[in-house]
Amino acid sequence: MSGPDQCPSTIGTKQPARDRAATTNGTGARGKQLWRSVDEFADSGEFRPFLEREFPSGASELLKSSRRTFMQLMGGALALAGAATLPGCRRPDHKIMTYSRDVPEEIVPGKPLYYATAMPLPGGGAEGVLVKSQVGRPVFVEGNPRHPINQGATSSWSISSTLCLYDPDRLKQPIFRDATGEREATWDDFRAWSSTHFAEFDATNGRGLVILADAKTSPTRDAQRDRLRARWPLAQFISYDPTGENTKTNGLRLAFGRPHGEMLSLESADVIVSVDADPTRHEAASLKNARGFGAARRLEATSDSMCRIYAAECNYTPLGGMADHREIVAPSRLPVVVVEIAKRVFEATGDDASLGRLLGAWDARGPSPISAEWLDAAAEDLLNANGRAVLIAGDSLPAEAHALVAAVNRAIGAVGTTVSYVPLDPESASDGVGQIAEMVGSMRRGQVKTVVTLGCNPCYELPTAIGFEDAFKSVTNRIVLSEGPSETASHATWQLNAATYLEAWGDVTAADGTVSPVQPLIAPLYEGALSDIELLALISSERAAGDFETQPSGYDLVRDVWRSRFDWSDFEQNWKRTLHDGVVAGTSQRGTRGIDASGELYRNVAGVLGSLRPGPVPTDGSLDVVVTVNNMHDGRFANRPWLQELPQFGTMVVWDNPALMSPATAERFGLTPDPYEVKEPKAQMATITVDGRSVDVPVWIMPGMAENTVVLTQGYGRRVCGVVGSGAGFDVQPIRDTSGSRVYTAATVSPARGRYPISSTQNHWSMESRTSIVRTADLPAFEKHGDEKLKTKDSYGKSWKINFGERLGELAHTPPNISIYENPYNESQADAAEGSWYSERPQWGMSIDLSLCTGCGTCTVACQSENNIPSVGKTEVRKGREMTWLRIDRYFTGDPMDPGELYHQPVACVHCENAPCETVCPVNATVHGPTGLNYMVYNRCIGTRYCANNCPYKVRRFNFFDYGVKRLNGGLRDEIPDGTPTPNNINLIPPRLREKLAEIQKMKMNPDVTVRSRGVMEKCTYCIQRINAARYEAKLQDLENIPDGFFQTACQAACPTGAIVFGDLLDESSKAAKAAKDGRSYALLGYLNTRPRTTYKVAMSNPNPALREPVEDPFHDHGSDGGNDYGGDYGEASDGKAAFLDPSKKHTDDGYAVSLRVLSAATGVNA
Amino acid sequence: MSVLFPKWMNAFPTVTALAAVGGLASVSAGTFYYATPDFWEVGYMPTQPGGGFNHQIHAGELGMDCRYCHTNVEDSYHSNVPTVSTCMGCHTEGKLAPEWDPGVEKVGFIRDAYAEDESIRWRKIHHLPGYVGNFPHHMHVQAGVSCYSCHGQIVGMPVVYQAESLSMGWCLDCHRNVDEHIVGPSKVTDLVWVEEHLAERARGEQNATPEAQAIIDALQASKAEGGPQNCGACHH
Repeated sequence: MSGPDQCPSTIGTKQPARDRAATTNGTGARGKQLWRSVDEFADSGEFRPFLEREFPSGASELLKSSRRTFMQLMGGALALAGAATLPGCRRPDHKIMTYSRDVPEEIVPGKPLYYATAMPLPGGGAEGVLVKSQVGRPVFVEGNPRHPINQGATSSWSISSTLCLYDPDRLKQPIFRDATGEREATWDDFRAWSSTHFAEFDATNGRGLVILADAKTSPTRDAQRDRLRARWPLAQFISYDPTGENTKTNGLRLAFGRPHGEMLSLESADVIVSVDADPTRHEAASLKNARGFGAARRLEATSDSMCRIYAAECNYTPLGGMADHREIVAPSRLPVVVVEIAKRVFEATGDDASLGRLLGAWDARGPSPISAEWLDAAAEDLLNANGRAVLIAGDSLPAEAHALVAAVNRAIGAVGTTVSYVPLDPESASDGVGQIAEMVGSMRRGQVKTVVTLGCNPCYELPTAIGFEDAFKSVTNRIVLSEGPSETASHATWQLNAATYLEAWGDVTAADGTVSPVQPLIAPLYEGALSDIELLALISSERAAGDFETQPSGYDLVRDVWRSRFDWSDFEQNWKRTLHDGVVAGTSQRGTRGIDASGELYRNVAGVLGSLRPGPVPTDGSLDVVVTVNNMHDGRFANRPWLQELPQFGTMVVWDNPALMSPATAERFGLTPDPYEVKEPKAQMATITVDGRSVDVPVWIMPGMAENTVVLTQGYGRRVCGVVGSGAGFDVQPIRDTSGSRVYTAATVSPARGRYPISSTQNHWSMESRTSIVRTADLPAFEKHGDEKLKTKDSYGKSWKINFGERLGELAHTPPNISIYENPYNESQADAAEGSWYSERPQWGMSIDLSLCTGCGTCTVACQSENNIPSVGKTEVRKGREMTWLRIDRYFTGDPMDPGELYHQPVACVHCENAPCETVCPVNATVHGPTGLNYMVYNRCIGTRYCANNCPYKVRRFNFFDYGVKRLNGGLRDEIPDGTPTPNNINLIPPRLREKLAEIQKMKMNPDVTVRSRGVMEKCTYCIQRINAARYEAKLQDLENIPDGFFQTACQAACPTGAIVFGDLLDESSKAAKAAKDGRSYALLGYLNTRPRTTYKVAMSNPNPALREPVEDPFHDHGSDGGNDYGGDYGEASDGKAAFLDPSKKHTDDGYAVSLRVLSAATGVNA
Repeated sequence: MSVLFPKWMNAFPTVTALAAVGGLASVSAGTFYYATPDFWEVGYMPTQPGGGFNHQIHAGELGMDCRYCHTNVEDSYHSNVPTVSTCMGCHTEGKLAPEWDPGVEKVGFIRDAYAEDESIRWRKIHHLPGYVGNFPHHMHVQAGVSCYSCHGQIVGMPVVYQAESLSMGWCLDCHRNVDEHIVGPSKVTDLVWVEEHLAERARGEQNATPEAQAIIDALQASKAEGGPQNCGACHH
């Protein structure tokens, strides 16, 4: 990477980046070049000024055009200000409203309450959560420590569920539509109508009645379903997960004879071989898997062992990005990898000769996508781990491959150690999309009289090929229960407003079988909203004609079901306890072996092996297409701005779902997007066609993807969704076939008309191209040197010792900078003088383990929820104005055409002891506190942005507009692909024209954190509101110090892998203090003498020596310890230019250029 | 002689002067009214529903403890305004002896609100700006800072008004001189005693009680906590 060289011994010896890329060794910890985008890797001349700007060019411009427009606008504004009075400045007349007669005793204003509940996950499963309630308002979601899936962590889905609750776009009351138009109705109207309507089905035994529901594992809903079927045996109840065929469940059905779910215990794994698996995201047990991954990779001491990961995949997954050995395989060729590994395993174990023979004779229809050495090494590691190994496969593989994976895991003895199986209810295990396709036929033929949908959106989320929408419109009675506006709800005759899980009673079963109660935190916000179980019970109950009053309550429904389900001697006591704990004790299932007899399993697998046929190797004319999901899932989360604005894994794209291709593939088709230095980069539109079905989508490049492969993402391009989600991205449902499968072969790609703007944060907030930001090492190096300390001299000539982590960076050969300021606090907590600030407890610090960060982004969303951080919208992100305090930098390694590991580095304010921001603030708005925190005092800030300019970590965020107090809304017309103005995503309105927040949205705000207004700088506070609350609590409890673990920061609590540790550095026993003293800890940019309180731990890899020789001496310290003269990023001497002559220093000052043009136009001088 | 100026111009200086004075006055008034931070307004005494709660009678003459109504002041950031049912603890019809009953015209609005289960919309007097985190009442009371120090002699107020400026400088005056204000947790609500005691302490005629002195000593020994003066203690 380019940038000023801080090392006196290497100044002037830096090679141009292009040459360096050619000479660095892409493998091994030494010589790795880290890059975030292809532009950065290529280091084109235009790109450097872009990186050097603190905000991307254009970020600080009010309008698209120039400062001339600005002057015109301001002139107008001044004239107006003179004429008008000053509204809104009148002394606000605040009211205090107390409870009146019915006073809830437990509520103490100012003290939040926490309730245990559970969020049903899309596709089945649940997360157990604790919801924080402030005077009756749910404001924050934390993981329930007692829930076996969460154990305290959360996912971005559950954290953002409070946004869904307070979404102003939610449906607020029932709407009735008929030929004469639409009318607002009430629930009483619906109840009265339904009492007679559903009684009509008694005559036909329910023929003509169809209920569609989202896949959900809820005992009470199942009971309601059974009740409905008991009354109307011919009624159809279909629950489905629209995102794709559940090949894993089906594969285990083939292997075991009945459907099973796979339960991984990654914490027991010494070897993981992943074939396109993505166990840590978007699955029912993701949080458990992520925790297991964290435990398997965690290194506390040099003697610790570390799990080794092999991955073969078509696009980066969080697990694959962390893998020690990763190979890129086209999706249609992935089954070959499973078979090749199985072949080797069965050869070695000789477990089942017939299966082994079949595998040997299996037709791979082409060459193996991975070298034999790699497969040998992976298979050998699987076999030699004594069962502490696991082979996992992803949903893009066919069911037969999953069956074979089960056989391999059995053969290597993994079952019971790293993997076990949970039997599933056959009905909930079926994906239902096939049933719907059949049912659409009868809808078309007019055999369906009434369709009821519960919490699903079939008009959008099903493959277009099924033709559901038209068939649905032909049905006479269309009853849609939906939380927010949806494509299906807009066609409903009865559009009913649903209650969210925070407003209604229910229950739900998690992936491991744990049953949790869903208890409401608040009464339904909008008129009588019902949950799915309440509506089902209403429909199936026998009521008198015209009865509008009888309404079964969710509370009774759940309790009735539980009474018969659980054998409790004292129901009330157990019920109360369950509500308190959030889980029903003893329901967590121990996984089984599927079927006991291995022989039977192998026979089953051998029987289906013949139908496992890999596709041909994809070519230019016949590409592979994978349809995946991300944070939007099937589109149900599209109206949550936090999730829309969370940079997507790998691409860092926000608000869109471009088709992904490898750089080479995109180039061959002429689909390469604009390079990033273009102010508003656009992506080329392309038509992707499979079997006559096609979609038009923009194309974005993703290094590390398989060639001739296209990755599409579902859940975007909602047509009716609310102001946030409507029109964001592109709907890819038209390309899917009626089976809803995820992988398609023989696709063609051609450029389409138009270019489409894409916002990606991948090059934002660059740390001035400084080096040694992410440090990596191989396990043997740590084992050898992890406990050593290198003696060297500090800036003042005193001798000091540096650890393993620091030896990988500049400090190994150059002392830190000396501050030119007389800084009274120029000491650190490590060597604080007696009686000084830093000698007194507590001294806060954080440690982030780069070995464990998978880049999932949960911390970012948790921070946003806790700290009232606004979303800004797509165009604002494009200008570099995103507000998230905690960003996750993503670095590729190696060559863009064949990148290696993916590193993720969460960066928020590191709370420097010698903070550069503090010295430049003209108004002392950012100052230091006695506990080591760098404070940001909003009311002092006048918005000079000097601090952001001087921050080497680029962690300060500026409110260019009133993002926090205005809504994302409007009516802007933005370009659509072919360039004609059409209403696109209406949240793109410029913020200055946005409306104020709706009252309901204000309820989401955390009352302990200031809502920032325009012109104010902000940044991570280490959750100071939580620190202060803990400080008070410790005092009230008469504790001398705040004990470790007394509170957690929002990011720390949310992190699924436990990568973030926070605590008192002076508390010897605290995790944070131990982490700071760890051999792998290093201070990011520590040579600047900023003395950050957040330290990082070196990202470790554990390569197999058979595939790559681990680097044992990766140091940066000029041969003092066996390394060569040049460490990480330094190549051979070449051009001899000193650092300050670096061409990247020549800024292109856009503002200056514009003013020159304006001047020359006015004076006629040719500037 | 030609008329250089029309006759109405004779009034010009007067009109100009008047306009200038008027303009200045309205600018000053406007600035005062619109642009002064509202939490600075010492003496702010809004009209409360039903004429307001008479602290002079309840806390002064009847000697009710502050914490009888402001129940959470020792446990929470907020010192809560009592619920309507707290008022009804005494003012339910027929509960008080006739000679004590203030009569329907005074407490009727409480009974109405209670009957309807509706809030009484009390007007907030002491107001801190949004960029100040919650003012921790519990910490101050536990540290022995009397209600008097911030709210003034409430027991003498028939209608409550803002007694102190609540500006940051005013906060810091106390945080820098904790020894002048701490009276000890056992005395915080004894406002009459506190007023005299603090005045005598200021004149040097009295010493802090042993309970108060212990807290003062502890605070002054701790650099970080000695009446915290760092920004992050309040602003977040």
